Amino acid sequence: MLKKDLLELCLLQLLSQGDKYGYEVLTPLRAAFPDTQESAIYALLRGLGKEKYTEWYMAPGGGGPDRKYYLLTPAGQERLEELKDDWRNMRDAIASFGVE
Amino acid sequence: MDRTKTKKTLTREQYLKKFSRAARWRLPPQESEEAIADYRELVFQAERDESKLVEELGEPVQAAHLLTDVKTYRRWLKIFAVLAFGLFLLAKWAWMGMTSIQFSFAEEWWYPVWVMVVGLVLSLYWFRRHGQKNGPLSKRLVLALAVVLIAGCGVMYGIWDVTGALIYEQVSVNTWQYRQQVYLVITAMMYVGTLSALAAFAGLVLAKCYDRRWLALYILGVTVAAMIGFVTFNFKGINLDYPTADMIRSYLFARLIPIGAAGLIGTGVALC
Repeated sequence: MLKKDLLELCLLQLLSQGDKYGYEVLTPLRAAFPDTQESAIYALLRGLGKEKYTEWYMAPGGGGPDRKYYLLTPAGQERLEELKDDWRNMRDAIASFGVE
Repeated sequence: MDRTKTKKTLTREQYLKKFSRAARWRLPPQESEEAIADYRELVFQAERDESKLVEELGEPVQAAHLLTDVKTYRRWLKIFAVLAFGLFLLAKWAWMGMTSIQFSFAEEWWYPVWVMVVGLVLSLYWFRRHGQKNGPLSKRLVLALAVVLIAGCGVMYGIWDVTGALIYEQVSVNTWQYRQQVYLVITAMMYVGTLSALAAFAGLVLAKCYDRRWLALYILGVTVAAMIGFVTFNFKGINLDYPTADMIRSYLFARLIPIGAAGLIGTGVALC
């Protein structure tokens, strides 16, 4: 599992908890992966949209202009489960070497 | 010596401007507009610290690079390289009045016309498929088209005038005056030909970055530069002892008129 896959996993997991606007998605991911810039995370988010794992809609945001909200599609949910399985397998494989 | 690299700081407006420019150059029109709208939202987020924009979001050009579909972008770069090289040749031919390229199967005065035909077909094909209109027709575009058109017509009138039988007959009467007129026309051809190629280059870049209708400036500029190149090489290659001036004029304009008409039609198509 590459770092990109880990980022994708976290991003999809975040969206599985509810619809979120761009800044709401990017900030926690940047906090969790401080060496990754938001532009890279945004590029990943756009890539997921192209793969039809996410969709978006415009909605009023906190008194300011409308915001773009992202949501997970059924295909995205399947992809999330796939990545979760990969993550568990990898975690078990690493644990078998005694890595805590 | 302090070798630590400090990150550039940009204001929100500067960041978005740089990002927009890079995105429009690299991405297809619809994608670039979507990405710019998203970045506008991210950059102008109330919680965002302006002094940390580059640190958090990355360099604007790099941010656009991350969104680039490499295959499509490379295809555009190849098209751009061909069109830009054609413009370089037209500018060089207009300025220097000679070519270092020689083909055995064609006279050199047709080279500028080939460049024009390739540029016209390739650019219209690309921008009709991948370009996008953006808002109402720009007044700057209309002004630029008018300037190139007037300059081109002015030079063509000058060429018509110096290749006229009347002037030719006057040569024996007043050689100095005739030479002055020819010198003026050749100087105008040099400048207008070169500047038209430069205007065409600007039109090409603006057509990619802002509105595909700027392609009209590219096509008109290429047409004027190609017509001037055609005349320049004819003047260089023609044997003045053989034809009369009237023959030169009818020979040139029988070819220049269809070339100019093709260019004007192309300009019109680019504006639609």
